[in-house]
Amino acid sequence: MWLPLLGLLIGIFIGSALYIPIPGVFAKYLSVAVLAALDSTFGGVKSIFDDRFDAAILLTGFFTNTLLAALLAYLGDQLGVDLYLAAVFAFGVRIFQNIAFIRRQLLARWIQKRHLHAAKENGNEEA
Amino acid sequence: MKRLKNWQVPVFITFLLLGLLLTVQFRTQQSYLSDLSQQKTEDLVTMLNKLYEKKNSLEREIFTLDEQQRSFSADVFAGEALTRDLRQELLRQQMALGLVPVKGPGITVTFEATPPIVYLDIIDVINELWASQAEAIAINDIRVTTWTKIYWNKQNLALTVDGQIVPFPCTIKAIGDPEQLESGLRLLGGVLDDLAIYDIHPVVRKAEMLELPAADRPEIKYLKAKESQ
Repeated sequence: MWLPLLGLLIGIFIGSALYIPIPGVFAKYLSVAVLAALDSTFGGVKSIFDDRFDAAILLTGFFTNTLLAALLAYLGDQLGVDLYLAAVFAFGVRIFQNIAFIRRQLLARWIQKRHLHAAKENGNEEA
Repeated sequence: MKRLKNWQVPVFITFLLLGLLLTVQFRTQQSYLSDLSQQKTEDLVTMLNKLYEKKNSLEREIFTLDEQQRSFSADVFAGEALTRDLRQELLRQQMALGLVPVKGPGITVTFEATPPIVYLDIIDVINELWASQAEAIAINDIRVTTWTKIYWNKQNLALTVDGQIVPFPCTIKAIGDPEQLESGLRLLGGVLDDLAIYDIHPVVRKAEMLELPAADRPEIKYLKAKESQ
């Protein structure tokens, strides 16, 4: 359970330790890419709770979504259409939905666990 | 959940990459925001105005400091000039009082023999020299000042200047305008004529350069300057 968090920390550490210079012009595309990555990650976590997890889907989704988001934003800039706004909107909505789902799942599991616990204790008392 | 044990590694990888992306983006955004080309025009104008104001105030400061420095150096210069003037004045007074050795053109008056001469004759000659604008006088290298005592020592039967016996032949040196000094001595009915009556004929010579020693410093115990105001 703690392995993903550890991964996050290691990633942050590597990112801080290494200085990867990105030209200012690309900052916007990178931000959309980060949004896509966040969406993919939360989607993956959601699928775990959903018992529909597939490593291949997660990884391919992560990379293609990230790259595509950045590319679309770039294309939108070239065409004069703020496509990155669409990406922000779509990913933003999905991220909130996924987080809400994860939250509900976690809450439900926690409550269930407590009920089980309480039932066990009650059973012990009766016995 | 149990059968999906293999979810951990891919999720680990995605989280790792996500963390990396996040930090890189965070840093890029930080530098991007601090980049001047990304600032709003109004902000840039405000910044420019502020910088101008600062520059102006600093220039004003430089100006006032320059002025201060100028006035200080002027003060220093004035102080130095004053010190120089005071030194010069002090030296002039010391020379006049006979406290420092002096040199300059003048005349020498040499008395060959002792018998007919009296100390009053010497005093007459010296007074005449003073009267002829002599600036410094010495008898046998004893400087004559305002507190010089010239008298006849009856025990030794000798001319005494400031307690020192003056042997003959004795020479009086005087610094001043040689022409004026000599003509003062040679006035008709003057000192030399008076001495000639007693058959004393001192030798008077003009000198290009005479060197006179300094006198001892006078002891001042009771004197106090009278307040001028």
